Amino acid sequence: MGSLTISNVTKTFGSTEVLKGINIDIADGEFLILVGPSGCGKSTLMNTIAGLEDVSSGQLLLANEDVTDRSPKDRDIAMVFQSYALYPTMNVARNISFGLEMRGVPKAERDRKVEEVSTLLQINHLLDRKPSQLSGGQRQRVAMGRALARSPRVYLFDEPLSNLDAKLRVEMRTEIKKLHKRLGTTIVYVTHDQIEAMTLADRIAVMKDGLVQQLGTPNEIYDDPANQFVAGFMGSPPMNFVPCEVAEDGSIAIRNRGAVVSLKVPQSDHLKGQDVRKVILGLRPEMITEPKPERSGEWIVNMTMDFDVTEPMGADTIAIGEWNDVEVLARLSPEAGLSAGENTSVQVDLSKACLFDPKSGERVR
Amino acid sequence: MTQNAHKRSGIADRLEAWLPKIILAPTTLAMIVCMYGFILWTGALSFTKSRMLPQWEFVGFLQFEKLFANPRWDVALSNLVVFGFLFIAISLLIGLLLAIFLDQKIRGEGAIRTIYLYPMAVSFVVTGTAWKWILNPGLGIEKLVRDFGFTDFEFRWLVDQEMAIYTIVIAAVWQSSGFVMAMFLAGLRGVDDSLVKAAQIDGANAWQSYWHVILPILRPVFFSAIVILSHIAIKSFDLVQALTGGGPGYASDLPANFMYTFAFNRAQMGIGAASAMIMLFGVLAILVPYLYSELRGSNRG
Amino acid sequence: MAIGRIGIYALLLAFAAVYLMPLYVMVMTSLKDIEEIRQGNLLSLPESPTFYAWVKAWGSACTGSECEGLAPFFFNSIRIVVPAVLISTLIGALNGYVLAKWKFRGSELLFGALLFGCFIPFQVILLPMARLLATLGLANTVTGLVLVHVIYGIAFTTLFFRNFYVSVPNELVKAAQLDGANFFQIFRHIFLPISVPIFTVTIIWQFTQIWNDFLFGVVYSGPGTQPITVALNNLVNTSVGGKEYNVDMAAALIAALPTLVVYVLAGKYFVRGLTAGAVKG
Repeated sequence: MGSLTISNVTKTFGSTEVLKGINIDIADGEFLILVGPSGCGKSTLMNTIAGLEDVSSGQLLLANEDVTDRSPKDRDIAMVFQSYALYPTMNVARNISFGLEMRGVPKAERDRKVEEVSTLLQINHLLDRKPSQLSGGQRQRVAMGRALARSPRVYLFDEPLSNLDAKLRVEMRTEIKKLHKRLGTTIVYVTHDQIEAMTLADRIAVMKDGLVQQLGTPNEIYDDPANQFVAGFMGSPPMNFVPCEVAEDGSIAIRNRGAVVSLKVPQSDHLKGQDVRKVILGLRPEMITEPKPERSGEWIVNMTMDFDVTEPMGADTIAIGEWNDVEVLARLSPEAGLSAGENTSVQVDLSKACLFDPKSGERVR
Repeated sequence: MTQNAHKRSGIADRLEAWLPKIILAPTTLAMIVCMYGFILWTGALSFTKSRMLPQWEFVGFLQFEKLFANPRWDVALSNLVVFGFLFIAISLLIGLLLAIFLDQKIRGEGAIRTIYLYPMAVSFVVTGTAWKWILNPGLGIEKLVRDFGFTDFEFRWLVDQEMAIYTIVIAAVWQSSGFVMAMFLAGLRGVDDSLVKAAQIDGANAWQSYWHVILPILRPVFFSAIVILSHIAIKSFDLVQALTGGGPGYASDLPANFMYTFAFNRAQMGIGAASAMIMLFGVLAILVPYLYSELRGSNRG
Repeated sequence: MAIGRIGIYALLLAFAAVYLMPLYVMVMTSLKDIEEIRQGNLLSLPESPTFYAWVKAWGSACTGSECEGLAPFFFNSIRIVVPAVLISTLIGALNGYVLAKWKFRGSELLFGALLFGCFIPFQVILLPMARLLATLGLANTVTGLVLVHVIYGIAFTTLFFRNFYVSVPNELVKAAQLDGANFFQIFRHIFLPISVPIFTVTIIWQFTQIWNDFLFGVVYSGPGTQPITVALNNLVNTSVGGKEYNVDMAAALIAALPTLVVYVLAGKYFVRGLTAGAVKG
């Protein structure tokens, strides 16, 4: 019973409009991730869901009940903060049980809950410690424990992993995913880490300037971005964006190694009759690889490129070349990466190429 | 920020939303009445012919004219200039010097610092009483030096019309310079170590790195210290009262003593109020530029 | 290099001697009898130390028309200081909590206006305050002095607590709100337990300020309610018979003792208060 409906929510601070009408329906048990650059309004949206900030207009429904005007304590929502926000003078056990204490839950019940939660998170041995005596990862677990103890209808996670080192972050990511599987409770999770977003989410909402740019499954967001911003935001290294001219027949022209190459893209047929002269070609780095003979088809093109720089990443190598005077990244196998340089043969897969309007950044389909 | 202008349901929630304002209400009321209201009241009073009791008969700038025509106010003002300048300059100099020396990894720094600072814990009345005895013409320093063999030595500043104000400088510096030291020391401790190292690598000697690198960083401390010291100087009342009683005659009066004497001992409420307003403007003249630069600085950073 | 360091130590110790000299002179003078004072000098040790001056200063020295020593005024000061410190600190703590964590439209302006109160020369409020106290029937009473000290101390106590609480992360408040704690529960369970240092700083600051106050004391107290600083000044300036410098010094030491003891016991917090009061905002 934890569905959450965000309906036309706006929020203004003084004269700045931080949220400009947010609409998201979150199903019971769904793992929704809010991503976006800093200042996009994702944290504000989180705070309004929690009730820590009032909405300027709009509605919040929790399990089909209007909670817009309810104070945080009456919403049955728990939150894990980026800074963990553990109460510094209380030990771990009291940190976990404080919410229950404030709600008047009897001591025995609280102890039982602390026991249960700390076992689940493997922090039993830390119960008597103060937060200052814990490592970053342990604090993170306690912060989650505090949220879990209340068994709320919705969990909010505000960049919970961004203060951890890289290795621990990956571990905790997996653990959060397992936890969600096990509890099946609705989670709204804010991050600016697009890998976290891709790996954890059932659906992702990409935000910018107080608006949801796109709401969809990780694959939809990755393969079928609604606009250039979403395309550029998700994926690492990011999608290549090459400004191109559109020819009469709908093909697009790129200048590569001094010569102009005409590329036919899936959108070409549609572009043929239209008055579109300039587009931005969006192509993920993994769509430019070393030649793979087994692949062929209408959208596979073989060519040679000059790579100035190669960056071995281990599993693959990023090679940097140039089309139309802008940098273009290719993702090569480590072996191919070794010999990449001038005049390197590559295979370009245009089947997932995206075209964007240079002015609005919207998709040209 | 935890903005919580709830429009919540329930009386408890509504009360809760009002709590922050309810809690600040008494302070706000006290502030409006007892600070700003009283300032206005005093300001208004300074334009009336009030003497023993407030009389709301307005006489324009008469009280201010009387004030500035009064030789005693003249003395008090020029005393404030002399006292303020010397007190601030000497306190800054000693405070900075001691702070720099104390910052040289001194053994027993804690104890020495404690000694420099203890006068600040003591009331100005106590300070005045002590120095009144030390500077006693006859039995004080004069006798001490004579006992050392300088039998012609004279030290009678305390009863000397011209010099009495300087005894106040001595006592005030004794009381406040340790505090300036503490401010500078805190400032010095806040200077990034790598800056000093960088200066050394650039070939600066100790003196040069202080003069060119560290002191410019301490500029805000200088400003804060100057503001606080001038504030102390303008408000100085108890020290004069205890050390010289404003004497001999009124030779060592400061504006604060003038105000007290005229408002409470001489039943010249109008002149007292006028002198208080001049003091307020003096403080504002220092404070407003300072706060302005502070606020501008914090907005930038 | 070594000579340089010796020079530094010599200078630091010389200054230490200068700072200590008045205290030394006070103690020595207070232990001498008047005859010895006339014969010896400031620095000479008492040949036959006597507590005569201390006993007299405490119990029988004249402070104007009555001759009961400083004792009654010492207790006056305590009766003024204790409630004034406690009330102003408590109000400051709550004010600071609100101004740091429960901001509302206008609260910053309010804080700025209050901050200004740390700076105004009190001469500018002396006259109207006297009228107000008279109107309230509190002229020359301990209650009146407590009220004055509370009103003009709040600016500082609020500043201290506000600046301390500002550094507490907002997330703690949010977390506690989500945990169901209300305004006072958050203060009680989250803020109070971390506030021991700032309470210490504030209480010491207020104690020193109010104990050492002379201006409000001399203006608003009456014969029976004068604080010790006023009584000390009267004692020193009362010329009944010969001048007893030893009694003056003993009296000054008695007046200084409470704040000196606090300084020695909690110097760290005292300094923190000074610098907090100094580096405002």
